[in-house]
Formats: sequence, structure tokens, C-alpha cells
Amino acid sequence: MFRYLPEQGSEIAPRLDWIHNWITDLSVFFTIAICGAMIYFAIRYRKQGGVDHETPRIEGSNFLEIVWTVVPTIICIWVAYYGIVIYNEMVDVKEDPEKEFVLINAQGYRWAWDFQYQNGKTTTNEIVVPVGRPTKIILTSRDVIHSFFIPVMRVKKDAVPGAYSHVVFTPVRTGEYPAFCTEYCGTNHSSMLANVRVVSEAEFQRWKNDRSDELSKLAMSPVDLGRSLYVDKGCNACHSLDGSAVVGPTFLNLFGSERKFTDGTTTVADENYIRESILYPASKISAGYQNLMPAFEGQISDNEIQGLIEFIRTIDGSQPVPEPVAAEEEDVDLSSLTPVERGERLYREKICFTCHSLDGSALVGPSFKDLYGRKGKFTDGQEYVADDDYIRGSILEPGSEIVEGYVNAMPPYQGQLSDEQIDDLIAFIQSVSNGD
Amino acid sequence: MSSYSATADHANGDPKNYLNWETGIRSWLFTVDHKRIGLMYLFTIMTFFIVGGLAALTIRLELSSAGADFLTPDQYNVLFTLHGAIMIFLFIVPGIPATMGNFLLPLMIGAKDVAFPRLNLLSYYVYVVGAIMALISLFSPIDTGWTFYAPYSLDSGSAVIWMTGAAFILGFSSILTGLNFIVTIHKLRCPGMHWSRLPVFVWATYATAVIQTLATPVVGMTLVLLIAERVFGVGIFDPAMGGDPVLYQHFFWFYSHPVVYIMVLPAFGVIGEIIPVFSRKPLFGYKMVCYASLAIAVVGFLVWAHHMFVSGISDMSAIYFSIITFGVAIPTAIKVFNWVSTMYKGSISLETPMLYAMAFIFLFMIAGTTGIYLATLAVDVFYHDTYFVVAHFHYTIQGGAVIGLIAALHFWFPKMTGKMYNENMARFGWLFIFVGFNLTFLPQFVLGMEGMPRRYFDYLPQFEPMHQLSTIGAFLNGLGYLFVFVNLLWAAFLGKVKAPSNPYNSVSLEWQTQSPPIHENFEEIPVVDEEPYAYGVPVEGGAH
Repeated sequence: MFRYLPEQGSEIAPRLDWIHNWITDLSVFFTIAICGAMIYFAIRYRKQGGVDHETPRIEGSNFLEIVWTVVPTIICIWVAYYGIVIYNEMVDVKEDPEKEFVLINAQGYRWAWDFQYQNGKTTTNEIVVPVGRPTKIILTSRDVIHSFFIPVMRVKKDAVPGAYSHVVFTPVRTGEYPAFCTEYCGTNHSSMLANVRVVSEAEFQRWKNDRSDELSKLAMSPVDLGRSLYVDKGCNACHSLDGSAVVGPTFLNLFGSERKFTDGTTTVADENYIRESILYPASKISAGYQNLMPAFEGQISDNEIQGLIEFIRTIDGSQPVPEPVAAEEEDVDLSSLTPVERGERLYREKICFTCHSLDGSALVGPSFKDLYGRKGKFTDGQEYVADDDYIRGSILEPGSEIVEGYVNAMPPYQGQLSDEQIDDLIAFIQSVSNGD
Repeated sequence: MSSYSATADHANGDPKNYLNWETGIRSWLFTVDHKRIGLMYLFTIMTFFIVGGLAALTIRLELSSAGADFLTPDQYNVLFTLHGAIMIFLFIVPGIPATMGNFLLPLMIGAKDVAFPRLNLLSYYVYVVGAIMALISLFSPIDTGWTFYAPYSLDSGSAVIWMTGAAFILGFSSILTGLNFIVTIHKLRCPGMHWSRLPVFVWATYATAVIQTLATPVVGMTLVLLIAERVFGVGIFDPAMGGDPVLYQHFFWFYSHPVVYIMVLPAFGVIGEIIPVFSRKPLFGYKMVCYASLAIAVVGFLVWAHHMFVSGISDMSAIYFSIITFGVAIPTAIKVFNWVSTMYKGSISLETPMLYAMAFIFLFMIAGTTGIYLATLAVDVFYHDTYFVVAHFHYTIQGGAVIGLIAALHFWFPKMTGKMYNENMARFGWLFIFVGFNLTFLPQFVLGMEGMPRRYFDYLPQFEPMHQLSTIGAFLNGLGYLFVFVNLLWAAFLGKVKAPSNPYNSVSLEWQTQSPPIHENFEEIPVVDEEPYAYGVPVEGGAH
């Protein structure tokens, strides 16, 4: 009865769930037995006709007192014993030569987690661990107390500033799972989420050793860093470099210009203005534009902000705009991929994701989740069904029909995508509409 | 039955009682009558109960769907802090002892008043000062949670000082009340009122008073240290200065675990009084029930670190605290078994106080058994700081302490006011509270099982259905309390139905004087010559 624990993602999970479910069964049994007796007595011995009947003056029973002291005591000792035994199994995972620990150092701070692997690879809010090998995460905090909790792994430990603690677990299946912060830490406590990705050993090794991303960024000049962020963070979806107004103001000659805002005030676009616009875009809205940009507070480092400022400063029209380079492509034989996989790559390369989510949330444009086959209305009241033709049209000439509730913000891809690529995208969109 | 019986019932006209022997606002503000002080406490804490309850409903409304609805995260954090701090420090810690304890204790032991009546009034005003300080903190809201964990509370807004200062002052009120009750029970029992004849409510109040006196100073020191840390930077909790934030948690829970028993032990006492009267049976295993109260009070001091199993304390101490925590389960189970056995072969009438007592037993079974999960070391690692803990805590405190208080209000209402309330309306309120409460918190157990952490402004979409059920339940629950308050206030101030001195035909001392009692409780000091709860016909072998 009452089995609601999450998926069993680690070796300890079935052990813990075993004693947990025993407690549930014992609890349900005793609650029903005792409350059943109470209700039975209340009915069986109910006062009849408003007159008390004779009752025996029973003051107690030593025998019963002993029974209901000893029986719960024995049950409690049994439960407590296994609680301790399983706790020891949980915290005392042995390292053996066959299965070396994956060691990860984690630092919590308001409101994110930084992780560092032993080879120096660093990530934020994401860890990748191999299936079948124990992972040990050493926790500490830079500010207040946080707590690291992966429900499917059944582990949790506080990250205390000035001290180290750890969790250790052996994943048993691949998948993606959330990790929560479970010690209250202020404003964005509930969005301090990390993603735990369990992959095969081979994929883990490939991922861990691929450090091109970080290394190239470390060696970059601020301008180059800014230019790569302009693509990686999807700024280019809304801010052009050639003076054309897209969803947001162009970056051309932005720096040093006077900005007009919807409330009539003005300011000069200096470093502070750009920083504020990245972190808290809603605080000042340029006249003629809408409040659509997501806030990057907590998602971008000071270094990166400086890079972006330097990059924007260079866009003054004095030199030809250098074509932004996307992150280095790994050599992949596209023909070996399925259409859905190729579509997913396009979804990322063409940064569709900045405006179209996969989880159902509405960003600048409609989410791709369950889009395929959906019925809806355009702003002109006409109805549509999201089939292949509709999607093809929306990619090539998005301005021709606008879905109700959205604005005309998407650039046309006429002449920029091959027919095969559009088919791949349709396959991908179809794939996120089926199943869950 | 005692040799004392009321005579004033048959006096001519409107007999003088504690409510009308003196009139005017000064006669209330400067009263040293334990009954009037009890009523003043009652109205004050109930006001805060409503404030804290409205905060809770606002929280539930925000949580009824995923994502931000009408609050910002910061407003949400302030609201759950206020809900916790107001409900704990201003409502349920004074709770039953300061209201029903003040009113009933001298009546139950045949005394004219508590041992130190002026000190009693001082307790009330110390409480008022603390309450005002807590209200001041509202102007620059506090967002630390009612636990004030360092180092978060060290650099959060300045209201932390006001709220912790308030909790410090309120602690003195609690200590003074506890001291007063201990001395009263030791020194002012009427002739024949041996320790083995004390009503279980008095025993429970005694055990509570011991905790109030011994544990409260520790939280006082802790909160002063926290204020000193903020103001002078002494570096005892702040890791940036070599302090230890986990030490704060030890200090805090050394008080704040026993304080749970300050809240709930008096409710145990209330249930132990109600069930015999409505079953016409002696309380089964009276002595075991009394010893169990003391055992809970003592063991309750030794289990504080079960709030800290994942805080980084050593595995050895975690094991120790897990084992001792199970030690609290046994005396609690003994009480439940004895209450239910009292009903065996009784003559049971299901009037409102008895309905609340039975609801209490059901809710406390859930509270107790879910406590077993949390005492179990490995399982607590999973459940710590999830909604499971939130639900467990509310089952013990709302399902236990608050239901106990509401049961007591109905049970002793005729004695306190001299009026009778509307029975049907009262049962209606009971039904809403019972259904609404369970609908609020049973889904939260499920949320905890699914891994939903507590104190979350927003949550993953998978948690939404249970949150919706919980919100619906919370509003039904609130409606139930509204019915109860309207019904009781109506009866007290506008009601026409006069209560007899002993409407339930109880044998306890407080029912032997008139309703409401006279200023000094009894016309003459009563003499007790029988065991408590001498209901029914004596049987062979019925004794211990």
C-alpha cells in the first residue's frame, strides 16, 4: 500500500525502500487496528436512548500494559536496527580496484551548484556520472547552508560553509534526474536545481575528457568570448549585428548611444547599462520593443558579462562584422544519424531553442512540445492544424501567419535550409509531440 | 466524588461569578484571577492563530499551481516565516497551558488561584511585549524561516533581531508560567488530592511545566548569541569567522525539540479528561498514562539531533539519536492504547468534545507512525526537509495540539462561560476541520514520498496534483475553524442557553463548583476522598 517513492536509481535504493515499505505496512496495520477498535467501541457501547447504561469500573490491566509496552518496543528495535544497518550501507560504499570512485567536488552558492571533476572539468548545475560505478560528491558551500538531494539515488547531505561533507551512490540505470537544494537558502531556493545525467561508462569518459569548450573559452580574448557567447546563449536570435531590428534592438552602434525607454526616460548605453540589461532585462525596456528577454541573473559570470560588453563595443560599423563562429563542430557523419537526431542538431545549431521550448513553456514563440498535430488559431482568426506543410511554411516564411498570442518575431529561413534539413526538423518536432 | 458540591446554583437571581463580580476594563487588565488571565490569553493567542492561519491560506493559494502566481519568491519566503514564527511562538507554545492550564489548574486541584497570581499577570504582559516586538518585525519582513538558521540569519534583513528578540522575551513568559504551575501543583493541592488522585490534565501540565522551565532558557541563550553575532560579530556561528553554523542547530533544537512536547503534552491531558467522561469509565491505566507523560518529557530532552541527521554530524551521533528517538514512540503508543481501552464496555455519547477526542486519536496515530519513518536513520535521509516532514509536523501540532485545544474549548466551554453552544453547529465545524485537515496534509505525505522539498516557492509540474488537493483541503479546514469560532463566540456573548454547573455529570473537581465559577473558585475548600474518574460500578479485580 502507498508506494509513491521515486524510481530506484542507485544500489542502495531497493534496500532503503524495503525498510520504508515495511514501516508503511506496519503503520497502516496499527492505525487501522487501533482506530477500528475505537470506532467499534463507539458503536457497540453507544449510549442508548440518551440514558447511560451501567458500566464496569475497570481501572486497568497490568497484563495489557505489559503487552502494549513490549510489542511496540520489539517492533521499534527491529525497525531502528535496519534503519542503522541500511544507513551504514548507504554511507559506507567501499572503493574497489575494479570500480574506482568518480570524485566530484561540489560548491553550492546562492543559487546554483558548481561541480569540478578530478581532471579539472567544471560544470554548473549539471553532473554526468557513469552507470555502475560509485560516485562520491564532496560538498561545501560558499555562502549559506545548502543541501544536495537526489531523490532517485536516495542520498542527501547538507553543504555547510567552512566544512566538507559528501554523498556517495552507485547509479544502476541511465537517465536524467533532478537534484534539489533542500536547505532553505533564500529567494531562488526552489530554482536551485541541478541535472544528474547517468550515462554509459564510455560516454562518460568521452564527456569528461572533452574539454574543448572550457579550454577554448579560457584562452579567448574578451571580444572572442563575447562573440561565442552571442551565439551560445542565443543572443543572435533577437539582436542583430547589421542594424536590422529583430525581436530586440540591434547591437550595431549600440554602445555609447542614447537609449529611449518605454517610460520616456533615456540613458546612455554604457557598461553599467549593458550589464543591467543582461541581468535584469525587465528593468528598462527600449521604446518600440517588448519585455521578452529572459533574465540572466545567476546564469552568467562576471567574466562573461565583460566579454559581452567588449564584444558589443566592437560593433560600431567601422569594420566588417565578423561572422560569428559557432562552437567547434565535432566530426559527425550526418548520414549515420536518424532524421530525428539530425533535426535535434539543427534545433540547437539554428538556436530555435531560444524561442521555442521543448517542455511546454511558452517563450517568445510557441513550445515544440506536443506541437505536431495541434489545432489552433492565427491572429486573423483562421484555424490551422500543425501538420508537415504548416511547419514547413512556418520555417520558411514565418511572417505570413502568426499564431494567436504571439508576435511576429521569427526570421525567415527561406534559402537558408535545404529541403532535407526541413524534413529533419519536422521529424524532430514530431518526435517531441509523441509519447510523453 | 468529592465531598464538595455546588450550592450557588440554587441561589436567588444571577449568582456572582468570576465574570461579573467586578466589571470595567481595569478589572480585566489588572486582574490576578487565573481564570480571567486564562481568558485574556485565549483571546490574544486566538487572534494570532487567525493571522498565522491567513498566512497559511495565502501560501496554499500560491502553491495551488506550479510557477509564480501572485506572489514573488521573496514575499512567499516572508509569508512562510511569519506563518511558522507566529504559529509557534505566539500561538501554540503558550497554547493550552496558558489558556486552559491557567483556567483549570487551580480548579482541578481545589485551589483558590495559582501560587503566584501577580507573577501570572506578569507572564501575560511579558507575552504581550514579546508579541509587540514580533509585530514590529513585520515592518521590515523577516525571511529566515522560524528556525533562524545561521549563517543565513546572520546577513538577512534586520527584522531578524526583532523576531529573535521577541522569541527571547516570549520565552520568559513561558518560563514564568511553568514555574508558577510547578509550585502550584506541589503546594496548593486541596486536602485529599494526593499525587495519585491528580487528573491526567494536571499531570500533563506538570510535565509540560518542567520542560518550559528547563528547556526555554537554552533557546533564550541561543537567540541572544545570534543577536550578539549580528550586532557585535562575536564569531560563534559564522563560518567566515571560524564559527560553527551546525552548533547553532544543536542549540536551537535542544529547545525546539522539547518544545514540541510543550505543545502536545497538554493536549494528551485534555484527551485523557474527555474520554472517561463520555465513556462513563475510569481512565484505563491511569498511572501508566501519567508516567508516560513524564517519560516523554524526560526522553524528549535527549533526541534533539534527529533534526540534523544530514547536517554533517558524525555517523555515531546519528545512530545514537535515532535509537533514543524511538524511545519517545513507546510512551506515546502506551497512551493511545489506554485511551482506546477506556472506551471498552463504556456508555459512549458522541458529543462534540468526544468527537474531537476520537479525531485526535486517529490523527495522532498518523502523526506517531509517520514519526517512525523519520526516526529510522536511513529513511530520514530521504525524508529530511521534504513535504513528508511538513505533513508529519502538522499532524502532531495541528492534528494534536490544536485539535486538543479546540476539544478543550468545547469541553470546558460551559464551565468557562456558563453557556451552552449549539451542538449541531459544533459537529458541523468538527466535520469540516476533520475532512479539511486530512485533505490538506495526506497529499503532502505523498509529495514527500515523491521527493518534493519543503520551503519551495515553485515546484516541478509532476507535484501539481497533490498541491491542488492540499490547497482545497486547507480552505475546507479554515472554513471549519470559522464555524467553530462563530459558534462559540455567538454562544458566549449572545447565547441564551445557560449551562448547569455539571452538564456532563463529571466527577472531576472543576465541575463541582458553579458555572461560571465564583471569583475564588469554591465556596469552601473541597476535600477529596476518592480516586479520579470513579465512574461505573466497582468490579472484582478491576483495580490495578
